Amino acid sequence: MTERVIHLKDFFEEARAGHLTAIRCGRCGALAIPPKEFCEQGHQREWQPVALEGAGTVVSFTVIRIAPRGRSGEVPYAVAVVRLAEGVSLLGRVVDIPFGTLKAGLPVRFRPLEIDGRTMIGFGPA
Amino acid sequence: MRRVAVIGVGVTKFGKHDRTSAELFAQAGADAILDAGIAPSAIQALYFGNVTGGETERQLHMAPLAATLLGLPNVPTTRFENACATSHVAFRHAVMEIASGVSDVILVGGAERVLNVPTESATEFFAYCSDASLEQPAGLTFPGVFALIARAHMDKYGTTEEQMAHVAVKNHRHGTLNPKAQFQKEISLETVLKSAYVADPLKLYDCCPFTDGGAAVVLASEEVARRHRRPIWVLGTHAASDTMFVQEKRDLSRVTATERAAQGAYRQAGKTPADVDVVELHDCFTIAEIVATEGLGFFEPGTGGLAAEKGWTSLGGKLPVNPSGGLKAKGHPIGATGAAQIAEIVTQLRGEAGKRQVDGATTGLTHTLGGNTATVLVSLFGRD
Repeated sequence: MTERVIHLKDFFEEARAGHLTAIRCGRCGALAIPPKEFCEQGHQREWQPVALEGAGTVVSFTVIRIAPRGRSGEVPYAVAVVRLAEGVSLLGRVVDIPFGTLKAGLPVRFRPLEIDGRTMIGFGPA
Repeated sequence: MRRVAVIGVGVTKFGKHDRTSAELFAQAGADAILDAGIAPSAIQALYFGNVTGGETERQLHMAPLAATLLGLPNVPTTRFENACATSHVAFRHAVMEIASGVSDVILVGGAERVLNVPTESATEFFAYCSDASLEQPAGLTFPGVFALIARAHMDKYGTTEEQMAHVAVKNHRHGTLNPKAQFQKEISLETVLKSAYVADPLKLYDCCPFTDGGAAVVLASEEVARRHRRPIWVLGTHAASDTMFVQEKRDLSRVTATERAAQGAYRQAGKTPADVDVVELHDCFTIAEIVATEGLGFFEPGTGGLAAEKGWTSLGGKLPVNPSGGLKAKGHPIGATGAAQIAEIVTQLRGEAGKRQVDGATTGLTHTLGGNTATVLVSLFGRD
């Protein structure tokens, strides 16, 4: 199980299926997304996969109005850093929330997004 | 370790060029060698920085190409890439090669050319400097990264869009005094505040432009430098890194790599922020200058916006920041920026900066930030 979720590919496959996963350090309990080899705190390598509930609050956000090549059709779109209830943060696209109501502390909930065959992390209303 | 000095500087005009990155570097490099007053044959190594040449020019292996165009095809070369901090990283490694005694004279710098591709392509290539697994798919751009930082700084300290605009106005004013600057035109606070949002709360005039240009400096050991008229000493040069993932930054209102790089450089130089007379720092966005002036220890956390508003960072103020016009007005050819900042500080410490001269400057600092604040370099310079 540890082997299976330690790669980004698996993280996204799980996410596409609607399951948000992180890894938890077996020594200090720190959570990490994306998966990494050593825990930043104690440099242990004793990870266990952990399912995240998907609830969180906005830490910071922006509305992108000039996009990279190939993404112009998507503007304007909001991107936010979200602190999940379990204490780890994740960056994703914000959908179905009016830009004007976005603010730090706003509760949101994870949802997988599929745009042009690409899976991305999304957050919608809590 | 041996002392190291900058003995020559060269910078191309910044703006749009129809020459390649390698050509732009070669021109700046030749200017730096002539400025140093040394024979081209004295150069023992070339440390070269470029970021997007593979994308914009279909050109890799650019370091030996630059050496060839310089007329020094047999000099050993290395290419560096650390996003916007590229040539400052190259500089630090060149300093170490001389300090260790391996070489006595090195040419170091970089070049970038992006105005030959459409803006949305350049935006895409620059975004390659952020993580390709999570951040690029979400559509996060570089203005987006600094917008997240700006929002956090505004929420925590009450920093305003108007304070950010003051940084743009000031750096454009400084740019009018720099004949090499991409923009040499003053702008008003209203122009900045009325410009369109790129990534809220950052507007067009909060952002530095895309720029073509090259910059180079000649570094020498103390023994060689002493034979020159005006060596400017490298007092300290320090690198720090931070997580590549924006989501992992513990406090988005700070750039901790700046704080750590600054502490290391000050310690190495035996200096404090109060000793610094002139600064060239990484104002890729107006908020970046505000956060950097705090992280470098010049102003308390949360007061960088006030410093800009009060004019403390203007030429003639308490601590002139970016007399060259900064990335904002001078321009930001990302592979060349670190070397161009060093060239400006050397020019200032020599007392040769003309209308933008900071009178009596004896100690200067350069700060260059790469990518989503994952790479930061800080160096300190002094004159005899």
